[in-house]
Amino acid sequence: MEAQSHTAPHFSTTPLLSCQHLTKQFLEGKQVSTILADVDLDVAQGDFVTILGQSGGGKSTLLKLLGGFITPSAGQVLFHGVPLKGITPKIGMVFQENTLYPWLTVEQNIGFGFKVRGKKPAQYKKQVQDVLQQVSLTPARKRYPHQLSGGMKQRVSIARSIAVQPDVLLLDEPFSALDIQLRRRLQTFLSSIWEDTATTMVLVTHNVEEAILLGQKLIVIGDRPGRIIETVDIAEARFRDRYDPQFLDLQRHLEGVIEADVTFQGTLLPVE
Amino acid sequence: MDNGLSGPMVWQRSLLSVACGLLSCTVLVVVWEIFGRNPENSVTQVLPPPSQFLPVLLESDFKIGLGSQSASIYQSVVVTLVRVSLGMAIAFVGSIICGLLISLSKWSELFILPILGLIAPIAPIAWVPLALVVFGVSNLTAVFIVFMGVFFTLTIATVAEIKRIPENLLMTAENLGGGSFNRWRWVIVPAVLPGVFTLLRLNFIAAWMAVLAAEMTGLRDGLGTVVMTGRNLFNSNLILLGICIIGITGFAVDRLLLLIQRKCFWWQV
Repeated sequence: MEAQSHTAPHFSTTPLLSCQHLTKQFLEGKQVSTILADVDLDVAQGDFVTILGQSGGGKSTLLKLLGGFITPSAGQVLFHGVPLKGITPKIGMVFQENTLYPWLTVEQNIGFGFKVRGKKPAQYKKQVQDVLQQVSLTPARKRYPHQLSGGMKQRVSIARSIAVQPDVLLLDEPFSALDIQLRRRLQTFLSSIWEDTATTMVLVTHNVEEAILLGQKLIVIGDRPGRIIETVDIAEARFRDRYDPQFLDLQRHLEGVIEADVTFQGTLLPVE
Repeated sequence: MDNGLSGPMVWQRSLLSVACGLLSCTVLVVVWEIFGRNPENSVTQVLPPPSQFLPVLLESDFKIGLGSQSASIYQSVVVTLVRVSLGMAIAFVGSIICGLLISLSKWSELFILPILGLIAPIAPIAWVPLALVVFGVSNLTAVFIVFMGVFFTLTIATVAEIKRIPENLLMTAENLGGGSFNRWRWVIVPAVLPGVFTLLRLNFIAAWMAVLAAEMTGLRDGLGTVVMTGRNLFNSNLILLGICIIGITGFAVDRLLLLIQRKCFWWQV
């Protein structure tokens, strides 16, 4: 695929989703451990932000905070400039593990967002069909989740979330359980969904390549405590060729940044 | 994933199990017949073989009992089946509703579950005398006994099943805009149905035994009464006939429940 530029529509100066001094602490035994420390982040309308970090770092916690699934220990999340008060359908979430309802078909799963709001099937049939078409799942619409492959399940999960037209879609390592080939196909799939729907997306991943490939803005989260250690704006470049020298340079640089952070943490260990 | 190959394989396997089951039953009947051929044999006195007790059915024109108290064998089977299914259906629906209500609050769980835990192990047959006093000799007594035998276990199971639901399924429903009532209706209820229905099937045997015991001790009709009539008339043919019908009907209902489970509640959460 050739390089393609995507200009994000900016309607106002207020970022769609932002957080200020966001901190999350958990109690581990008798010790307070800081998972996330003082994170500031702005997500503009139409952005695709990727959050890169080591497994077990604070990046999933950051995503859950942004979605209102958990409350911060300090700082706040602003959505449309107003403090976020918990889970809202305007901020969709796609989890890493399968969250499809096993008793519903693909079609019913995609329509679930309407059904659970008490709408009648006739009211949302058309929308579900459109989404099915958009994600090329029409032939599989009568299948149940146990009859789908891992990749198809994630496509249905994403389709279910975009069907209800959220302002922001949060994705928590949606492809990390898939093999490399499938993963690449789904990355292309997600990119095209983003371009078609212009839904703002925030994706968490531990895969450097994925983060560069999908993001317009890339944030690297360091480990323990989770904090932003690098921000890269790649909106202009918008890499689509993973063998591009610039792409490889950036990949090498980011891997170095993460490695340096780990080494820095490693030197702290003996003191403990 | 499903593929075309698995269909015939499943079919072959079920054919094999049916064939083996039929074969072992035939062997049992043949051995029984051989032992029972000699009328002097004491086995024949107590356990008359099928060739002796089955004709009773034809001779009596499918009616069991004497005079005005006689009832056709169909009636007895139907009466017992209606009692068991009614009791189980009420218990199934009731236990899911109660389970949902109990799991609404941590406090109701803490206060109510111990009571259920105390009542659940009471053998359903122990309720018979009490039920006879309250409801008299009626269908209600039988239904009540079946209900008592199943309800408490199923309610405890429902509460446990609700706890087992993955949190992400509930969070997703909330994230998609579902209010708490709709989350109950479209996520929690379907998620617990298969588990609770499986337990209902396993408890069917207990309910079946309870209603037969009730029919033998207090009530005047149903399959249990057939056996008791045999006892009162010193008619071992009738007793064996009753026992056989009980066995076959119970087996048939269990298979039917299995079929319902596979067709209607097949998913795993």
